[in-house]
Amino acid sequence: MADATQTAGFQALDTSAVTRKFRIQDRIFYLMTLGSATLVVLLLLAIIVVLIIDALPTFQAFGFSFLWGTKWSAPADIYGAVPAVVGTLVSSFIAMLIAVPLGIGIAIFLTELCPGSLRRPISTAIELLAGIPSIIYGIVGLFILVPLMQTYILPFLMMTIGQVPLIGLLFQAPAPGVGLLTASLVLAIMILPFITAISRDVFSTVPPMLRESAYGTGMTTWEVARHILIPYTRRGLVGGIMLGLGRALGETMAVTFVIGSVSRLQSSIISPSTTISAQIANNFGDADGLQLSSLIALGLLLFVLSFCVLALARWMIGRGNAL
Amino acid sequence: MDNAIRQNLVSRRYGKNRVMMVLCLIAAILGIFFLSVILGTLLYRGVSALNLDVFTMSIPAQGSRGGLINAMYGTALVTGCAILIAAPIGILAATYLVEYANGTKLTEAAKFLNDILLSAPSIIIGVFVYGAVVVPMHGNSAFAGILALALIALPVVNRTTQDMLLLVPNELREATAALGAPRWKSMTMVIYRSAWTGILTGILLAVARISGETAPLLFTAGYSKFMNASLTGPIATLPVAINTLAADAGEDLKQLAWAGALIITVAILALNILARVLSGRRQ
Repeated sequence: MADATQTAGFQALDTSAVTRKFRIQDRIFYLMTLGSATLVVLLLLAIIVVLIIDALPTFQAFGFSFLWGTKWSAPADIYGAVPAVVGTLVSSFIAMLIAVPLGIGIAIFLTELCPGSLRRPISTAIELLAGIPSIIYGIVGLFILVPLMQTYILPFLMMTIGQVPLIGLLFQAPAPGVGLLTASLVLAIMILPFITAISRDVFSTVPPMLRESAYGTGMTTWEVARHILIPYTRRGLVGGIMLGLGRALGETMAVTFVIGSVSRLQSSIISPSTTISAQIANNFGDADGLQLSSLIALGLLLFVLSFCVLALARWMIGRGNAL
Repeated sequence: MDNAIRQNLVSRRYGKNRVMMVLCLIAAILGIFFLSVILGTLLYRGVSALNLDVFTMSIPAQGSRGGLINAMYGTALVTGCAILIAAPIGILAATYLVEYANGTKLTEAAKFLNDILLSAPSIIIGVFVYGAVVVPMHGNSAFAGILALALIALPVVNRTTQDMLLLVPNELREATAALGAPRWKSMTMVIYRSAWTGILTGILLAVARISGETAPLLFTAGYSKFMNASLTGPIATLPVAINTLAADAGEDLKQLAWAGALIITVAILALNILARVLSGRRQ
């Protein structure tokens, strides 16, 4: 009896020392994880703060008229955001117009039509292509697509749609091959794997029971896609498309190679134009003073723009999962 | 009569179905066609530009022999250092978010901010590092490039580690706690080990992502024609070299750009496949 208490007491002493050591080590580990998590948040805040500080001279010089200024001229030291912002929005919009139906079409093909043995290889190939760096799309666009556009596609567009009143304004010369439409095509091809993968993933979340019942009532494949797959996955689908839009808005290298970089507001979508990221990539290296600050202000605008799109996308996808 | 209307309706529905399915098929063929044109061009122009010089010499001046060895070295150095910085911080941050404070409002906000950072345009990261590092240091440097890439890799590692830690069954945590193991031992010796293939996949994907990045390196790491081992000077990386060489007037330098494009794409595809194999083995 006495022996047992002695042992127990001895052990209690020993464990309390070990426990103290463990508690200190635990505390250190906890603080390391907390510090890392805080760092991630602080970094995002630091990005915003640094961008705002560096953009300040522009807003001091032009006030908020920078946001609706339509002129960007380094010699005159006058800078306005509109040409680049419009170029960014229009090129992304056209890219989405091409990539979304194509991507959803491929996803429907993969989930409903494709023979089982081909499904995995095609999906894998498309997912792998999503990892190809954007500069590859840029140089292929420059050396393959631009000559094609210049010699065949753009003259054809000018001869046909270009002759139609009103819409024709969108397709007027000069058209050297590089331009907004070419950039939109490259962007569309770039985000296509992404849109396809997301659509296929959300389509596969549709319960098999729902799909089988629909087929059982005699629906055609298209009706199943149109009335079951797309409505059921609407939120996830839209969220995924918004993520694709976020990529298109911020894409730099692919666009820089093929857009022609002319910072002027134009009615024609086949003429050389620019986007925020192309503007920054092209001029940042040798800019200083007010121009540098204006480029950073453009960057801030892009950040705000993509933040809004991404926040909306996350919100939609989050709600989709909750349902 | 009634039957005729029904027949008509059915044939219209089937007709519409056929049209739409053919359109889907065309979409698939078009998609595969576009993407094979890109890969085909890359292979065709890249392979014909490959030779021993590409792997043994530095970037040449117009008209002389040369290769991309300094750019390959630069990419390996910058990418490697960036992941060495980003991986531990990302894993630890994910550990806090999942293991210590999961579900609180503050963590949800932190996860959201991480996702924003994950999808932020990479050129913005470049502009930020320019303002925060390049300007104070008076010039481009490999160090600035490393920081820019680390900033891009960090949210990727953080996000994938979060997902992997959430997959670890709670029983494991309870069992280690019941054995009297302190939390940090339970994390490092049990939880990380059961999630390590997933975490490694995330790190590989982050490496694949940052090794192809161009925009954030343009004005941070800069460009150099020479082999440069120091972290404080500008250093060439493959993507920036491709960007510079492709814009050059000289045909031989354009060739070199295609060779570089092939090398970086093959490397990134290999990393992606490796990541897939790893994550496939886990399931």
